[in-house]
Amino acid sequence: MYTLTGVTRTYRKDNATVTALSSVDLVIEDGDWLAVQGPTGHGKTTLLQILGGLDRPSSGRVTVDGRDLATLREADIAAIRAASIGFVFQTFNLIPTLSALENVEAALVPLRISTADRRRRATQALESVGLADRSGHLPSELSGGQQQRVGIARALVKQPRLLLADEPTGNLDEQTRDEIIALLENVWHDRGLTLVLITHDPAIAARAHRVAQMRNGRLTVRSGQARTHQ
Amino acid sequence: MFFLIYLRRELLRRKRQTIVGALGLAVGIGLVLTVTMAAAGVKKAQADVLHALYGIGTDITVTAAAPPPPKLGSSEGASQGFSPGQGSQHVDVLGLPPGLGPLDATAVESVSHLPGVSAAAGGLLLRDTQLDVPTVQEQSTPGWRPSQKNLGVTFTVIGVDPGRTSLGPFASAQLSSGRSFVAGDTGDDVAVVDSGYATANGVATGSTVTVAGTKFHVIGIVQQSQGGGAADVYIPLARAQALAAFQGLPSLTGRVDTIYVSADSASHIGAVRNAIAKVLPTATVTSSSSLADAVSGSLAGAASLASNLGRWLAVGSLAAAFAVSSLMTVSAVSRRVREIGTLKALGWNTRRIISQLLGESLVTGLIGAVLGVGIGLGGGLLVRRLAPALSATVAQNPGAKIPENVRIDDTGMHHEAAAGGSHTIAVHLTAPVTLTAIGLAVVLGVGGGLLAGMFGGWRAARLRPATAMTRVA
Ligand SMILES: Nc1ncnc2c1ncn2[C@@H]1O[C@H](COP(=O)(O)OP(=O)(O)OP(=O)(O)O)[C@@H](O)[C@H]1O
Ligand SMILES: [Mg+2]
Repeated sequence: MYTLTGVTRTYRKDNATVTALSSVDLVIEDGDWLAVQGPTGHGKTTLLQILGGLDRPSSGRVTVDGRDLATLREADIAAIRAASIGFVFQTFNLIPTLSALENVEAALVPLRISTADRRRRATQALESVGLADRSGHLPSELSGGQQQRVGIARALVKQPRLLLADEPTGNLDEQTRDEIIALLENVWHDRGLTLVLITHDPAIAARAHRVAQMRNGRLTVRSGQARTHQ
Repeated sequence: MFFLIYLRRELLRRKRQTIVGALGLAVGIGLVLTVTMAAAGVKKAQADVLHALYGIGTDITVTAAAPPPPKLGSSEGASQGFSPGQGSQHVDVLGLPPGLGPLDATAVESVSHLPGVSAAAGGLLLRDTQLDVPTVQEQSTPGWRPSQKNLGVTFTVIGVDPGRTSLGPFASAQLSSGRSFVAGDTGDDVAVVDSGYATANGVATGSTVTVAGTKFHVIGIVQQSQGGGAADVYIPLARAQALAAFQGLPSLTGRVDTIYVSADSASHIGAVRNAIAKVLPTATVTSSSSLADAVSGSLAGAASLASNLGRWLAVGSLAAAFAVSSLMTVSAVSRRVREIGTLKALGWNTRRIISQLLGESLVTGLIGAVLGVGIGLGGGLLVRRLAPALSATVAQNPGAKIPENVRIDDTGMHHEAAAGGSHTIAVHLTAPVTLTAIGLAVVLGVGGGLLAGMFGGWRAARLRPATAMTRVA
């Protein structure tokens, strides 16, 4: 469970100060399915970075299961990410020199499991996104939708508790978009995942159980109440 | 291991970057290798000079400087000149070459007992001068010019201890006909002649050579591998001592002028040199390393070239190569900002990311070392092919300057090297490939790779993990 209290993030650029997040209060229960909407440049990605421990707030508190993120060292946060947080990026971010399978394996590397186990789990993850036959392909040899499915396999292979997705379908056509969202919803449903997803797309936001709106760094939860799996 | 998979993929799928990075290092390493090998070649050439002068197996020589010349008008001085008379005179004197003085033969024994010395032998390097003194009548004939016979013919003679032929210049002489000295030759008028001198003067086994007015029976002809030809004629040491004269001494019995020393290991040469210098404080003690300072001629030029220009060139290009490969790694990290940010988002900690980058640049460095060895070998080949023949000139007593004769004529004063006062030896410059040089290449490659990797890692560690999410590629 996440609790954000008065989280503010400012960037100093030259002499100007940009306030990307402005005293955000938010509670995310385990098993939540939260969509964040909002115009470009209003702090959505910044919020996701703070949830994933990739960035630290300028002020305010973030607690994960009662532990204050500010008290954790960089390496401890990396270990939490490795074990229980999956990221999906708008621009896929596959490592260009690694094959699809190796990209998925890369997410398991910090967990120090055996090579055979790692390969088996990565192969299963690729199968679950329907790309078993493309495991040897380089990212440049895959379509955008296929690349994003590899990205999702990579995010899910470690069986995370939290999935953070930053406009995962922003670069995809409608049909692929629907496939990807269906895939994520299935996992959310089957595994008891917590899902935080940023989107511009009202069609996606409509499927979420809670929708929040970002505007000028301020977050307002617009609809729905925290609802866990049936 | 995933580390190795990722490493291989990065290096193979970014081939051009890998090759350019490795090649940059390789050029620097190759230059350092070439210079190192050429410097080793110069060192070897210096050792060759020592061996050409004093024989293979000789690590150290001991010589003494000549005492000051006798005063004009003294009785010793009088015997130095020859006055023309009524009848024809033939002179044949055996003496020390200019610049060299006598040593007491007991010094050979004391040197041979020093710690670290495996053997010592005494030798007598001499110069035989034969000339016809023109008569007063000849000189007053109009248009008379001195012939070569009037000016003097000289050749070098070495007195060899027939019982100790394994040390000294005679040791490296190859017998081409006849026989060598045996222990029984000690008191006999027998000679072994250098092939170069034999050919020029029509000497063969069975004929005779005249030394100090005494006929010596030629028992063998020898060839010196270095071509330097330490001496023209070798005779038994006792005979050389008996026949030679020096500044009023009627003979040199009980004297030598060179002591040949071999050390029991190359690493002891320096210590042995110091020990001898303590026992014989006035003598010149020479080893191949100290000989280098006494050498003049093109070898000396090559040596200073290798140690000055070559070294700076190599160090400069190596520094440039290191800088270029470090910059390349840093810029590669900057190009891979998103990749590194993604790895951080996947839960890779900074240490793991840095080891990955370090591994990449280490392997690049090793490839650079291998290519660098190739370039270095090519450079060495080029040195061997292109190096001109070098010559080295050393005084007979390497501790002294090359003795000069001063001649005065109507155009002024002329200085010239005294005949027999120095040795000139032709040497060939090689660039030997040594394990040390190869090891150096590997160390430099690894060092360059580590340095580059450290810069890259430092850059990567400073990246904010959030960069994975930036839109710009
Ligand atoms: N590293 C940074 N340095 C300075 N300013 C930054 C930095 N990252 C983000 N910002 C600023 O913070 C604000 C919020 O950025 P953020 O990326 O969170 O927006 P966003 O809502 O994700 O936009 P988009 O929908 O375009 O992705 C923007 O004004 C942006 O310019
Ligand atoms: Mg964004």
